[in-house]
Amino acid sequence: MNAFSLPEKNLLRKPGRTAALMLLTAFLALSVFGGTVVVSSLQRGLGSLESRLGADIIVLPSSAQSKVSFEKLLLQGTTGAFYMDASALDSVLEVEGVEAAAPQTFLASLKADCCSVKIQVIGMDPQTDFVVQPWIAQSLSRELGEMEVAVGCKVEADVGEIIRIYDERCRVAARLAPTGTGLDTAVYCDMATMRQLLRAAEAKGVTHKLTSDSGDMISAVYVKVKDGYDVDRVNNLLNGHVRKASAVRTRSMLTQVADGLAGVSRTVALLIAAVWALSLVILFIAFAMMVHERRREFAVLRLLGTSRRMLSRMVLWEAALCSLLGAALGLGLAAALVFPFTTLIEMNLGLPYLAPSVGLVLRYAALSLAVTVAAGALASAWAAWKLSRTDPGATLREGA
Amino acid sequence: MKKASFALCIAVIALGLALAAGVKTFLAPCVHEDGSFGACHWAGQMLLGVGALLAALGLLALIHRNQSVRAGLLLAAAAASILGLLTPGTLISLCKMSAMRCRAIMQPAAMVLCALALLLSLAGALAGRWKKMRCS
Repeated sequence: MNAFSLPEKNLLRKPGRTAALMLLTAFLALSVFGGTVVVSSLQRGLGSLESRLGADIIVLPSSAQSKVSFEKLLLQGTTGAFYMDASALDSVLEVEGVEAAAPQTFLASLKADCCSVKIQVIGMDPQTDFVVQPWIAQSLSRELGEMEVAVGCKVEADVGEIIRIYDERCRVAARLAPTGTGLDTAVYCDMATMRQLLRAAEAKGVTHKLTSDSGDMISAVYVKVKDGYDVDRVNNLLNGHVRKASAVRTRSMLTQVADGLAGVSRTVALLIAAVWALSLVILFIAFAMMVHERRREFAVLRLLGTSRRMLSRMVLWEAALCSLLGAALGLGLAAALVFPFTTLIEMNLGLPYLAPSVGLVLRYAALSLAVTVAAGALASAWAAWKLSRTDPGATLREGA
Repeated sequence: MKKASFALCIAVIALGLALAAGVKTFLAPCVHEDGSFGACHWAGQMLLGVGALLAALGLLALIHRNQSVRAGLLLAAAAASILGLLTPGTLISLCKMSAMRCRAIMQPAAMVLCALALLLSLAGALAGRWKKMRCS
């Protein structure tokens, strides 16, 4: 028996006490690890949205009151269909300071193959598009062909599979990398395919309130502003020049999302702080009570020749071991609660949510484990110090 | 060890009941507007069966005194848990969109419950075996 085997036996002999202490430290690890992963996922989601938007200004039809629905489309993947005349693209290109303009056309499907949910179909021109095409290029080395689609990572269709949209057979040419935004639930195609799908939708009796031929309609124009030009000024010019459309700065959209993210981060940080404060106080009291309850046992050990330092080390080791097991349990619980329910968390928060990479998750886990074990050992440090100051003879005489 | 074994049996029963009751209530698969059943409905029915089986095996293990029989029943529960893990998405397909109830709620919850049931039933089976090894 040595200073390390005795604490292990103590923990095994008192399963109730050990379980209670483990549960407390598990809460500490769960709150730190779970909270860190959620906040990190939100930050990665915002970064992903920023890089995915890739435009300075988005021009949308004003009649659709579309800013809100467009944001929902981007963030939550809700479907939206609003249209303006394709001549809006020419008007946009006429404005001074516009470097590039990429049109997109939206269509909401009736339902996917097997389920009762609508999917958003987004048509773009691969020649001019600078928003979706670079993203597609990561998964597909060529342009999308006729009746070919690229699907977001949350559409469960494999490459080569045929999906039916308005009874039109579309071949899945690529599955796109995750972005953590509503764009992951959409299906992308070129303008020729989109025109065919729009016609198929009209043939099915789905009215899109088109004012002209479906081939001449677009839903949004993504605008890149030339270097050296003031984005706000170009935005104002676009608002004045393009009829029946309104220009929205992507920065304002991102700021709103960032504000939402900051609110969630604050709430998570407050919750973690509350859990930590409460758990540390309880741990501190629990260790103090444990040492007080076992003072005669420790006094006997002292009389048998155990040094003060060895006794303190035993208490610390017992606390560290218990915290280690509790932290491992907490990490497991957090992983079981956070990772499988990513989609549910994303849907409830309504913010872009992109889970961190495996390497980053492992780093967070190691950090949470270290912090929790250190907190457990710290909570027992005072009890260990007090124990080393106690006179064993006096302790044993107390109970005589 | 006897207490631990009992506690593990009760936990397996609780997880089985949670799974069975869950797929009929808060973990229910997608509801189609037209009243038709999608594949996820049948995955839910299968999970209901797996949950009931887990609860029954846990109950039998709880009331059996023979350690070997109890270990055998818990190993059967572990096998049932693996079946539960494989049911949604692997053995029976689910809806095409990740945002659908069956993918966002039923599948992850069933996998977590079945993974826990697998770990606990294996721990229960091994707990009895460990005690036997220590005694001999």
